[in-house]
Amino acid sequence: METYVILRRRGWQSGEELQEAAARSTAEGERMSEDIRWIRSYVLEEGDGVGTVCIYQASSPEAIRAHASAANLPVDEIVRVADTVVVRADPQPATIES
Amino acid sequence: MTELLEREDLLAQLEAARVEGGRLLFVGGEAGVGKTSLVRAFTAAKPALHGSCENLATPTPFGPFLDVGVDIGGEPRQVAVALLRELERTPLLVLEDAHWADGATLDVLRVLGRRIDGTAALVLATYRDDEVDSEHPLRIVLGELASAAAVSRISVPRLSFDAVRKLAEPHGADGRAIHRLTCGNAFYVTEILAAAESSLPETVRDAVLARAKTLEPAARRLLDVVSVVPSRAELWLLEAVAGDLIERLGECLASGVLREEDDGIVFRHELARLAIESVVAPDRRRELHARILIALESGGDVARLAHHAEGAGDSAAVLRYAPEAARRAAAASAHLQAAAQYARALRHSSSLSSFERADLLAAHGRETSVTGNHDASIASRLEAIELYRQLEDPLREGDVWARLSLTYIAPGRNAEAERASTRSIELLEKFPPGRELANAYCTQAYMRMLSRDNAAGVEWGEKALTVAEALGDDDGVSQALNMIGTSHLMAGEIDRGIGYLLRSADLGRSLQDENRISSALGMLGSGLGEMYELELAEKFLHEHIAFSEERDFVTSYSQSWLAAVHVYRGRWDEGAALAKSLLADTAISRITALIALGRVRARRGDPGVAEVLDEALELAKPGGHLQRLGHVYAARAEAAWLTGDRERTVEEAHAGYPLAIEKRHLWFAGELAYWQWKASSLQEAPDWIAEPYRLQLEGRVREAADAWRARDCPYEAARALAESDDVELQLAALRELDLLGAGPAATALRRALQARGATVPRGPRPSTRANPGELTTRELDVLRLVAAGKRNADVAAELVLSPRTVDHHVSAILRKLQVRTRGEAAAAASELGLLLLQDR
Repeated sequence: METYVILRRRGWQSGEELQEAAARSTAEGERMSEDIRWIRSYVLEEGDGVGTVCIYQASSPEAIRAHASAANLPVDEIVRVADTVVVRADPQPATIES
Repeated sequence: MTELLEREDLLAQLEAARVEGGRLLFVGGEAGVGKTSLVRAFTAAKPALHGSCENLATPTPFGPFLDVGVDIGGEPRQVAVALLRELERTPLLVLEDAHWADGATLDVLRVLGRRIDGTAALVLATYRDDEVDSEHPLRIVLGELASAAAVSRISVPRLSFDAVRKLAEPHGADGRAIHRLTCGNAFYVTEILAAAESSLPETVRDAVLARAKTLEPAARRLLDVVSVVPSRAELWLLEAVAGDLIERLGECLASGVLREEDDGIVFRHELARLAIESVVAPDRRRELHARILIALESGGDVARLAHHAEGAGDSAAVLRYAPEAARRAAAASAHLQAAAQYARALRHSSSLSSFERADLLAAHGRETSVTGNHDASIASRLEAIELYRQLEDPLREGDVWARLSLTYIAPGRNAEAERASTRSIELLEKFPPGRELANAYCTQAYMRMLSRDNAAGVEWGEKALTVAEALGDDDGVSQALNMIGTSHLMAGEIDRGIGYLLRSADLGRSLQDENRISSALGMLGSGLGEMYELELAEKFLHEHIAFSEERDFVTSYSQSWLAAVHVYRGRWDEGAALAKSLLADTAISRITALIALGRVRARRGDPGVAEVLDEALELAKPGGHLQRLGHVYAARAEAAWLTGDRERTVEEAHAGYPLAIEKRHLWFAGELAYWQWKASSLQEAPDWIAEPYRLQLEGRVREAADAWRARDCPYEAARALAESDDVELQLAALRELDLLGAGPAATALRRALQARGATVPRGPRPSTRANPGELTTRELDVLRLVAAGKRNADVAAELVLSPRTVDHHVSAILRKLQVRTRGEAAAAASELGLLLLQDR
């Protein structure tokens, strides 16, 4: 497994749509648990909607594509992570409300 | 027998597999860890078939199935079918020590792994996982079967400290010390406990010998006799060889050192046999082998006879049995064993005439070549050539030169291959044309074809054809037609090439020679793929794969081309998935699979491009052939272009260009010219390059796009339109690129359009993707037929797919449509309007 950043810019119209997508993503992720692990996501404010930057671990870029296709998620770009530098813990997640 | 400790979980796993049925389970673990004890405990009260592989350099082909009572007169596939039939009666088979299996037995395991699914049988194959390194024949089988759902592996761990202490307690022994020494190896532990020495033996061997010392001297001598028989020692054999010592058998059995198995006697463990055998004095050992040889000579198995003949140092007997054993092994496709038997005969060949020795060397060269031991093959063949030369037998010498030239090709020793082929023709042309000459011409034609010297390939092929036809040698004719046809294909003479190859296949059918049919279909598939005749290529690749799967021939090369064809036809998911499933393979199929995967990643802008295309280049370099290098450099130039690196685009394209021009390869020259032209480093390209590229270089992008579309290459068509001056055409290209998920090309085009002030649509949302179920084109084909009520077998026939492939498609369709039955799939499909969608 390697770590990847996945950009899903302006993927959804609303936070509600994103939550539905997150549920699909979790379900499909469990089905493909040997090939893919969702680590965390940052939800982007995009003016007319929301997007995400997701951190995943996956066996290959194709596994990320297959997961996205199964869960109906957009993919703009996949970048492999060479190293991680953690300076501080992530900020407290805010609940997304539509 | 010691109590079985810490094996409850494993026993439960075995039981679950048995109840489920249709499983091949590999039970791994180091020697002495307790694999056999586990399997014995599991099968104790159940009817089961048993077979064991022998610790011999030259095991008997199909040896373990001899024990099972299956008819082993035939090819591995037939033996596997007979075995599956036997398993219908007794659905449990234990195959012990698979790490020693001969090639024929491994082939049977390959077939079992693929066919056991759906039966009620459980097959357990034990093996020493620490002795099976990456080069080991069993490792290769395990790799091939890794993706088979019916096949899995479990591993037997060493005993824990607690278990060892529990075992040691009744003996009053120091469990801690024993555990430290044995690391929990169950056999070692029990040997130590049985030996009951005051100081602990330092090695397993010492422990075995210490335990054996507790026997009476006569019983101890009987152990020597039994240790010299590697497989099971039959009672009658021991009676004949051991004399009065046989009376001590009861004592040896009671002590647990030996045990009865079927009609014979074996050591409790192979480690024990080896330990005892290692201390039998050399003279005594030779004498025992000699006596066993005499006893077995009345009708024993030749492989076994050859083993004891060598042990007895009886060269005459070795030469009597080893070559015969080699021929039988080769007939059963156990080529490693055949090569080892020939090598054994050669070790004892000092008394032979030069002529007999040369024949043995030639045969050894043939078998080692089949198993891929190129160095050994080359050495033997060169030696045979030298002997035939001294004997002034240019016919045989020439024949071996021709065969040697093919062996030089695999490790990339092309110059030597050329010389060997030239030499064979020189020698053989002095004789009236015979089969040897036809074969030598065909070999030369093959080398020209590999190098894509197409005109010469046709010419040599025609020469071979003339000779073979005059001889009435249909097999030679079929081979020659294959070579001629393939060279025509590569020269772009598509119809003519197909005609020759189909004739070659037809002749193969009338000869009932499956290899000829398979070779012609495979050449059609991969050759048409290389020529971008994608629809035809796909048809023949499917035909070749179905034909080969039915016969358990290798399909990986055609699969790798199928992956490339998927990619070029815009089915990136399918192409990438297939390519990745092939990466367990070695050699040439791996190169094409890596290229297919690299192209998809590059076109999507995904990471991991360099790692696959670098490896593809490394693999392609030693052969130095355009068919690989041209393909790799084209993919690398494309990848460099898509990351915006002009300099490297030129570098990669230029690296393959001169060779592609020299060989007049329409497609590689075309693509490599195109990338140099894109990166502004090429003024002019020859006018014979493949049409779509020529049109693009001439700026006729609309016609180029049409030409690409006619070949069903949606990405290439969009790439051509993107070069247009017409905003409408560019927008159409953008829609197609977005649909394909071609990130980098779409981004570049968006920027170009924005720079021109055009209104550019945003990329696609998932909901606007190709079709709601995300089915691939092939899955749509299958679904249409399933919805029409056809059975899988009919679907397979209609689409020229193997039934197994159709099974896979159907389960993918059910999964994607999230339904459980075929009826529900049909209903869901019509609801979604999927059945109306045509191929893109």
